[in-house]
Amino acid sequence: VIPRYQRALFWILFGAILVLALFLLHGCQQAREKLNRRQNETPLAAPLAAPSETVRFAVADDNNDSISMVERQMPLPAESTARAHALLARLMAEYSYKDSAHPIESGPAVDDVFLLDLPLHATDHAATSNTSNSTGSGGQLAVVNLNGGFAEHHPSGIEPETLTIDSMIGTLYANFPRVQEVRFLVDGHPRPTLNGHADLTRSYPVVNTETKSSQGTP
Amino acid sequence: LLDPAHGGPDNGAILGDHFFEKDATLAIAGRLRGVLASRGFTVVSTRDGDPPQALTDDQRAELSNRSHAVACIVLHATRSGYGVHLFASKLQPAAPADSDDESAAHFLPVPWDRAQAGSVDQSIHLADNLRSALAGGGLSVTFGRAYLVPLDDMMCPAVAVEIAPPEVGSDAMLIRDAAYQQKIANAIAGGLTTWRKQMTPAPASQSSTPDRRVAP
Repeated sequence: VIPRYQRALFWILFGAILVLALFLLHGCQQAREKLNRRQNETPLAAPLAAPSETVRFAVADDNNDSISMVERQMPLPAESTARAHALLARLMAEYSYKDSAHPIESGPAVDDVFLLDLPLHATDHAATSNTSNSTGSGGQLAVVNLNGGFAEHHPSGIEPETLTIDSMIGTLYANFPRVQEVRFLVDGHPRPTLNGHADLTRSYPVVNTETKSSQGTP
Repeated sequence: LLDPAHGGPDNGAILGDHFFEKDATLAIAGRLRGVLASRGFTVVSTRDGDPPQALTDDQRAELSNRSHAVACIVLHATRSGYGVHLFASKLQPAAPADSDDESAAHFLPVPWDRAQAGSVDQSIHLADNLRSALAGGGLSVTFGRAYLVPLDDMMCPAVAVEIAPPEVGSDAMLIRDAAYQQKIANAIAGGLTTWRKQMTPAPASQSSTPDRRVAP
């Protein structure tokens, strides 16, 4: 026969174990959330092994609705797709700084960038027609897959959304001469607009989007 | 044609506490409509209130194309930047129809999402008139080009007018200010009056109706 005080002690200890387990579980969840939050706020983890290079950013300014080119030094990976991703991620991260002239909430903005040779059907066409033009025009299509959270929290309006798009296009133009067109996806899917205004359903030609102050000059 | 953007379940941008873009565009459209009517314009609006289900972008463009408006003004509001932002479509102007085959031009289908291409030059001209009028009214104004729906689907000379707070860093709630809204409405009406005077009759080839949107 187990004495009553031992049974009581058992249940007290059992209860204490449960409380401690719940406490630890809660602590773990909080720590994980904190870690994730910190990762989201980190603009970009620079590849340490790569040498630093001069890149050109097309930087937007909400105050005069303009795009201007600026040079930055940053380490970039060698592979072109990774370079484009790192470049656009860094560009968007700059907009999350406090003194940004085109403020955007911090967090991951660009999930992936894919560079595809144009025309897109070149391989099939070459296989069937065996024409001498099988290498295509030499141009590339950039598919920029934006983060869903970035699109949802992007400042809503024609001006801020268009400036963000033009900023990315101008940066691709300045650093990737082969890229001729760009298409935007959000979370891997087509989306009508960035956040209610700028049209994302069409392919954008990659052109120089740099403008001087366009204040009052149609 | 006036198109106060958003409406119904689509609030548009959040400009302040319980103050949405759809409310701002509707308020300014109401003021603009009154001023335009007093100047002898016939105004068609895509919405006069905030119905539970507002027109879709395609329906708004369809209404404008059926009304054969002399000018289409799409109203937006934002808390970014300041002053008034004018936008014309970024579409490249359509190549002029072959003069030897003018009759065939009547039957050329116009892609739905390129309907504005035939009017881009006029739209830029209209934006220039609006810019002059807004600047003359003491308002800060910028001009840009953008791919926008339903602007790109409209066949009329069309300009998107985006209203931002009046000063750098000022509160977006100031867009609600009646005097500010009236000032903008008066200036736009002035620009449209000048535009109407300058406007020449539209060519007959503009009368074809664009195809419905198809997959790109």
